[in-house]
Order: sequence, then structure tokens, then C-alpha cells
Amino acid sequence: MNSKLIKDLPDLVTNDVISQDVASKIEQYYLAKQQQTPNRLFTVFGVLGSLLVGLGIILILAHNWDNFPRGAKTILAFLPLVIGQCFVVFSILKKKSVAWKEASGTFLFFTIGSSIALVSQIYNIPGNLSTYILTWIILSLPLIYLLKSNAVAILNMICITYYACELGYGFGSFGHTPWLYLVMMATIVPHYYRLLKHHKEANITSIFNWLIPISMTIVLGAFVDQLTELGFLMYLLMFSLFYNIGKISFFDQQKLRRNGYLIFGSLGIVIIVLTMSFDGFWYMERFFINTQEMYVSIILFAANLGLLIYSYSKGWLKTFNLFQFVFILFSMVYMFGLNIPIVGTIVVNLTVLALGIMTIKIGIDKFHFGVLNYGLLIITALITCRFFDTNMSFVIRGLLFICIGLGFFLTNYIMLKKQKSRVESLKH
Amino acid sequence: MQRKHIFIVFIILAIVQIAVPAQMIFNREAVLKSGTAFKFKTEPIDPSDPFKGKYISLNYDLDNFKTKDTIWMRNQEVYISIANDSLGFAKVILASLENPKKGHFVKAKVDSYSEYDSILRFSLPFNEFYMEKTKAYNAELAHRDAQRDSLSDNTFALVYIKNGDAVLDNVFINEIPIATFVEE
Repeated sequence: MNSKLIKDLPDLVTNDVISQDVASKIEQYYLAKQQQTPNRLFTVFGVLGSLLVGLGIILILAHNWDNFPRGAKTILAFLPLVIGQCFVVFSILKKKSVAWKEASGTFLFFTIGSSIALVSQIYNIPGNLSTYILTWIILSLPLIYLLKSNAVAILNMICITYYACELGYGFGSFGHTPWLYLVMMATIVPHYYRLLKHHKEANITSIFNWLIPISMTIVLGAFVDQLTELGFLMYLLMFSLFYNIGKISFFDQQKLRRNGYLIFGSLGIVIIVLTMSFDGFWYMERFFINTQEMYVSIILFAANLGLLIYSYSKGWLKTFNLFQFVFILFSMVYMFGLNIPIVGTIVVNLTVLALGIMTIKIGIDKFHFGVLNYGLLIITALITCRFFDTNMSFVIRGLLFICIGLGFFLTNYIMLKKQKSRVESLKH
Repeated sequence: MQRKHIFIVFIILAIVQIAVPAQMIFNREAVLKSGTAFKFKTEPIDPSDPFKGKYISLNYDLDNFKTKDTIWMRNQEVYISIANDSLGFAKVILASLENPKKGHFVKAKVDSYSEYDSILRFSLPFNEFYMEKTKAYNAELAHRDAQRDSLSDNTFALVYIKNGDAVLDNVFINEIPIATFVEE
């Protein structure tokens, strides 16, 4: 973006928008800024290189060189690991750049995995994948803090997620809940906190803002033990928590694309609620109070409520936003509406409609075309869903679709008009 | 943290990183050196592992025991006491939930117990044998051919056992190591 501005400078000068003096000042400012930023590209390529070499080593060792004697294979198991450690020592002692630390950390991360794998291979150690990955994670977690390495943190997060899936969803894993996932994710939190505090605007921070909700969304299902009915409530509560986190002024003030929590939360809520809006959903047979799912739901509910109260005390809840409160409504419906399907269905359908209208309103207030159309999409999705399980006549369905189509045109048109008039008024 | 401290902590971490796989090696070497060797009749099939490479999965003939006890639960750890039969292959002499402490025994996992014919089914833990990529599938074929050509029960796994720990050393078809057999 900066380079675009610099490219435009001569044009701005010739059109007398800014003076030559200002133009050269702007140019100097960006040049100075560019020199200050560390060679970010170098870091990215360093990490990518280590990643590929590390994966390559794992693959080569997995080939199983069974012509080699056991001793030679054992040396091969340790050689990459020791080389990786030497690189890390070098980058610590010589106070090397971020690029060095990230790259050597990434390389060491993979060699740890390859050495355990090769030893298991040499001695035919059977073992499930989850224990193997757990050992790998534990041996590499401290690197995040020793090297302050984002790459190692991300790789660990991927491994932790994989571990939880392997344990929670894997074949023959019935009844296992990956509680250790929470502990291990908690060990990454201080690193994340440091990023938020010191590098609020950095791209790497927004990658974490996205990866954390993605990882949690993938794993939450593994916490569902037997009572799958409550799984939907758990997911809704978690998406609502993401949304509320995204609405904390720290995240809310940032650009929308950096705010993974808000986008993930909003999309998640809409998808879950749409799923619940089907007629058949509410015929549930079992409901037990004393279950793991119930406790997880209660904790998520409490976290939501706590966050909401905190936001209120900070004065961030100036305008009413249904997305932030929808979890209360749903918990109630879940509690009381289970035996009366018609109530659940009606409440949910009205809620989706309200959420759609709410989103359109936010879009109009903020002059954001994306949000506006997202709201319209929610309503379209709701109507499309209703086509599958109601016996409306074709004429009514057709009319509804025409209405919603006109709605798309009209709202966008009105907003475009408004925006134009605003620009006009700014000119004068 | 100062650089010196980071360095010291890293050295400790590096030692642990080496110690964990080293420990795995020492444990296995101890069993291979001073354990007792048993032959388990087996049948190889061919799956794979994303990190550790290709292995053949071994289906042991020794996977059940007739017992009147009905205390077994699925996935429970069970101690299987073994001895050699007249042909020199391992056979079960006792299954118990407690460590027998005497004699030769291995740890296994309970699969099921059928009260109808009072048979306890279990799986032995040393059921993965790692081989070079191209050989693993051939091993399965070789076993099938060997089964057809000569005596039955000609494939066995050589397992060293010490205090309940077991290390799978090699798999043989007609007394020839499986990797060599496949090459021929």
C-alpha cells in the first residue's frame, strides 16, 4: 500500500494537491520506515526453508533403511537433532536476528519429531499417534519462549490441535476427552499475550487471532462425550464467546479482517442457528443434567456472561447488538423448549430473522457494504432453508425470493446514495 | 531473560530432547540384551504410518485364552504369562489383571470376553514391524505364498521379553528374516 502511495506522489504533485516539498518528505518518511522494519521477507523464507528441509528429513527417515545396521540408524536418528540444536545455540549465543531464531527453531522442531519417530521405527515400538505427538509437543514447547519464536508457536498449536483430534475423534477413541489440549493451549497464551501487547498491529498477531478460534472450533467437538444433543449448544456458546471477545474494544477498534474472533463468532452463530431452525432438530429424547457436556456448557455460559458484564462495566455496550445476547436466549430455549418442539422452532426462526435485520442495520450505520450484504445473506439463507421443510405454495416462495432480491438492490442503492451525499457534503 | 540464562535453559532443554529418545533406546536394548526370546506365530498385513514410515501389522495366532474368570473389561491391561510349547512357539499359560512377577509374561490389552465359550480375546502390543517402503506389501504377499507352498504356521515374530516389557526383534518366514525373504 505504501508503494502505491509513493507511486501516486508525482501525480499528486503535478495536479497541485501537495507541494514538491511535502512529496519528498512523505517519500523520506516511508523510506526510513522501510529500513527500520527487519527483513521480514527473509524471516518468512527462512521459516519456509526450515519447514521443507525438516519435513524432507522426516520423509527420508521414514523410508526405513533396513540395510543399515541398528547402530548406524541410531546415529542417524540423533544427527539431525544435534545439528538443529547447534543452530539454535548459535543463534542464541551470537544474538542473531529474528530470521535466524525463527528458522533454527522451526528446524529443531521438526528434528525432534524425526528423532522420536526413527527410534520408534528402529525398535518397532508400537504406539498410538497421540502419545507420539504429545511427546513431540512437550519437548518443543519451551522453544517458543526461549527463541520468542512465532513459527514454533504456530507449529505447536497445529500439533496440539492434531493431538486433540487424534485423541478425541480418532478411531477407537470413544470416551476420550482431550483435557490436555486446554493445558497445552494455556502454555501458548503468555506468548500470544506478549504479541497482543507489543505487536498489536503486526500481521503475525492477526494470524494468531484467526488460528486460535479455528483450533478451538475444530477441537470443541472432542469434548462432546455421549450427549450429542448438547453439542450444538456448546458450539453456539463458544461462537458467542468468540463474538463477545471480538467486541472487546481492543479487538473491535482494529480492522475487521484482523478480528478473527468477530468474524468466526458471527459466522458460527449464524450457521448453528440456521441448523437449529429446522423442524426436525427439536425432537430430542434425552436430557441429562449430570453430564460432561452440561458442565462444559455451564462454563462457557459463565464465561460469556462474565465477559458481557465486564463489557457493560467498561461502557462498550452502548448499542444493543443481538449477537452478543443470543446465547442467553438459546440456553433458555434449550432448557425449556425441548419438549415443545414448536416453541423452539418458532423462537429460532424469529431469532435468525432478527439477527439478519440487526446485521443490515449495523452495515447501514457503519456504511459497510460487506456487513450489509452479509445481513441480507442471512435472511436469504433462512428463507432458502425454510423451503426445504415447509409446504408453502410455489407462488409464495417465488414472491418471497423476488422480495429479497429487490431488498438487495434497494438497500445497496440507498446506501450508495447516502454515501454519495455524504461525500458531497464533505466537499462543501 | 538474559542471554546467559536463555542459553542455560536451552542446554537443559537440549539434554532432555536427546534424553527422551535415548531413554527409549536404552530400555529396548536392555530387553534385547538380557530378555528371553520367544517365537510368536503371526500373520503380516500392510498398513502405514505418516511419521514413522511403512510398517507391517502383525496378527498373532496367540490372541485368546480360555478362562472361567469373567472380570475382564475392554481395553483393560492384562498380564499374559507365556511358555514355550512342544514346537518351540509361545503359548499362554495364564491371564491375570495383577503383575505375576514370576516367570515370563507380557502386557496386553483386553479386546473382549465371551461368556458363551469363556474365551478371553486380547491384543499383544508389539504388533508393528517397520520395513522399507517397497518391501512392506511384498512381505504380505510373501507370507501368503509361503503359507501356500509349505507347512502352515511358518511365519513367526521373534520377541524378547523381560519383566513384562517386550521388544519385537524380527519377523521370520521359514526361518529366514522377512526382509531377506522378500528380496529373494
